[in-house]
Amino acid sequence: MKFFENISTYEYSFPAVSLAYFLRYPNPYSRHVLTTDVIERYVDPQTGRLHTTRLHLKKSKVPAGILKLLPKGIGGSDSSGQSYILETTVVDAREGWMETESRNMEWTGILSVVEKQRYQREVLEGEGTTTTAAQGADERTNVKTTVTFRSRFGQGKLLGGRSRSETATPSSKAEDEAPKRGFFASLSTAGVQRTIELIGLNRTRDAILSSKKGMNIVLERLRHGGIVGVLEGMRQDREAAFGPDGPWKRVWLHGSGSHAEEDDG
Amino acid sequence: MAASIAPECNEIKEKYDTCFLKWYSEKYLRGNTSSNECEELFKKYRTCLNKVLKDKGIESMLEDARKSNKENDAEYLKPT
Repeated sequence: MKFFENISTYEYSFPAVSLAYFLRYPNPYSRHVLTTDVIERYVDPQTGRLHTTRLHLKKSKVPAGILKLLPKGIGGSDSSGQSYILETTVVDAREGWMETESRNMEWTGILSVVEKQRYQREVLEGEGTTTTAAQGADERTNVKTTVTFRSRFGQGKLLGGRSRSETATPSSKAEDEAPKRGFFASLSTAGVQRTIELIGLNRTRDAILSSKKGMNIVLERLRHGGIVGVLEGMRQDREAAFGPDGPWKRVWLHGSGSHAEEDDG
Repeated sequence: MAASIAPECNEIKEKYDTCFLKWYSEKYLRGNTSSNECEELFKKYRTCLNKVLKDKGIESMLEDARKSNKENDAEYLKPT
């Protein structure tokens, strides 16, 4: 297992940051995010906390370094180049914190990446206790990000969630056999796992930087134009990224066959 | 607004998202946590979405993910 930890600060109030979190896609740094859906959302009547589960569909490539380690046919051409990310968040508006967790749902045997963040309103010294929402131009919000990487490569759970839906192909056989043979014989399982975890780790440094840049753009738009400003910015981002038709045409073009794209033109 | 994985749900999703953002910024973040004025829209959106999640096999993947997350967390976050 490998860990990554990062602590940073947004120069915005907690309400703004938490709003931006829900509003962060699309932004110019999120072109790889194709769709976002809310799976579940409720306020816990006991605590007043808002619980949200979202499903993101992202464009993703298996990193070349990992691809080299995989048996032929896994992670290569049979992969759709898209992956599902499950994101859960809990917001406590009164206490001024939000906790998020994102994890990949497929390929978890090769590499499971779990990103956890805790956003916390910064209490400035000498200030009164009245931190009302939305105002507070000089408030700040601290974020602690922890990412855990775990590979169980070679432990017979290679495909994780992917196995049910997409492995009625010859590659499913390779899943169990390949790690024991050939090239793999020369590497210890632990060594391969470590390599995969490190590749994931290196990728994450960049991803976290981009994601913060994206959040800051959304926050800037919020500050200048409110929610309307954010939505207008999004519309432009979406057109820039996918054209006026929006991203779903692409999703369906490359998606599984049963929903062939219908041309309404 | 971010697009839905189901194109046919985009319209209702946008209505729901708009409602949620308004509620979240104007009520929830200001301490009014009890209202749920977007519930109706959310139900409609979920009805639309559920169908597609089922058809695409995502629903079972979600269940699997939740199950295995629990197992993993139990296995790896246990006190040592």
